[in-house]
Amino acid sequence: MLKILGRATSSNVQKVLWCCGELGLAFEREDIGGPFGGNDKPEYLALNPNGRVPTIIDDGFVLWESNSCCRYFTAKHAAGTLYPDDLQTRADGERWMDWQLTICSPALVPVFWGMIRTAPEDRDMAAIGKARDKLSTVMAILDGGLKGRDFITGSQFTVGDIPIGIAAYRWFAMDIEREDYPNLKAWYDRLTRRPAFREHIMQPLE
Amino acid sequence: MYKIMGRASSSNVQKVLWCCAELGIEYEREDAGMEFGKVDTPEFFDLNPNRRVPVLIEGDFVLWESNSIMRYLAGRHDPDGRLRPADPRVRASAQRWMDWQLSMLGPQFTGLFHGLVRTAPEARDADAIAKSRDLSEFNMEILDTQLGKTDYVAGDAFSYGDIPVAIHVYRWYQFEGIERKPLPNLERWYATLCERQPYRDHVMVGL
Repeated sequence: MLKILGRATSSNVQKVLWCCGELGLAFEREDIGGPFGGNDKPEYLALNPNGRVPTIIDDGFVLWESNSCCRYFTAKHAAGTLYPDDLQTRADGERWMDWQLTICSPALVPVFWGMIRTAPEDRDMAAIGKARDKLSTVMAILDGGLKGRDFITGSQFTVGDIPIGIAAYRWFAMDIEREDYPNLKAWYDRLTRRPAFREHIMQPLE
Repeated sequence: MYKIMGRASSSNVQKVLWCCAELGIEYEREDAGMEFGKVDTPEFFDLNPNRRVPVLIEGDFVLWESNSIMRYLAGRHDPDGRLRPADPRVRASAQRWMDWQLSMLGPQFTGLFHGLVRTAPEARDADAIAKSRDLSEFNMEILDTQLGKTDYVAGDAFSYGDIPVAIHVYRWYQFEGIERKPLPNLERWYATLCERQPYRDHVMVGL
């Protein structure tokens, strides 16, 4: 059975859980990382030398980097649907997966750490406010990319929606100010109707 | 013909130029970014709202994010699997090393690169540079361990998984005045890459 190593509260683990949910893939998950520890043990580092989660084990094949795990699963189980056949459509979605790593996550992390991982009395609200403003400009970029589309590549949900969908949940769930980004909101509402999104992503932020 | 917007000194542009050279893809390149400007214009925002390079233009199709550009071009122009592994697990492994460059290697390398190459000596933050050096060396050790098991990052053949990491490894070996642990597997792989004409032409161009 497919094994997923990583705590279910990790945004990167959630990419893989949501993906498996969309594909109806059975898996066994083990809590690793954060309060559960285990990611600095030699057995884990032998699988993933970065000591990060998730790591997946698919019939002996060990893989880490959550975006690659999602492309691997969708190429295997959903070629033509979640993993588009058309190369431009596929690239269109994949660019937003890369973007989540390069642009979105660096903007989200300081806000997340400030608002979720720091006790209220210890928060530097001026710094968090600046970080929020930066995150808002990043969400505006995503809003622009969703204009005229139901999902990031067009009318169909694809693997490209997954990393940014998780970022969007955090944007909407944190107790912060939010500007009106109508395309982003409409797409996000569509995601909230997906059972796998509700089950794996719409969880308390920790 | 493809158009690529981006200065040839950008590590992300270099990925795409190297990829095109490996696959014999013709393109027109236009300088943009840093001293060349252009990225701050409204026209460039319409191409890439992130205001970054490279951008690939193919008629009406505009693509940004260098790793996605490489995967797109390899999907279109690589029937023999020079860059794009045929086996799905090897392909996933190659893509994993591409993601790793975005998520770990690249961000942890920035302090060192910007500190030593883009900052005047008197303005350098020695602590930040030292930290980045330590993290980068740890990442080089991760590569070295993998390259002790396989000839290239994803297996025993060269793939697009080697490209993003190899650009940082070139830079790692160019820095003057830093400590570098001997890493024999990494050094072997790097020496092999130094023989590849596309790597020489597009990546081994100084800092």
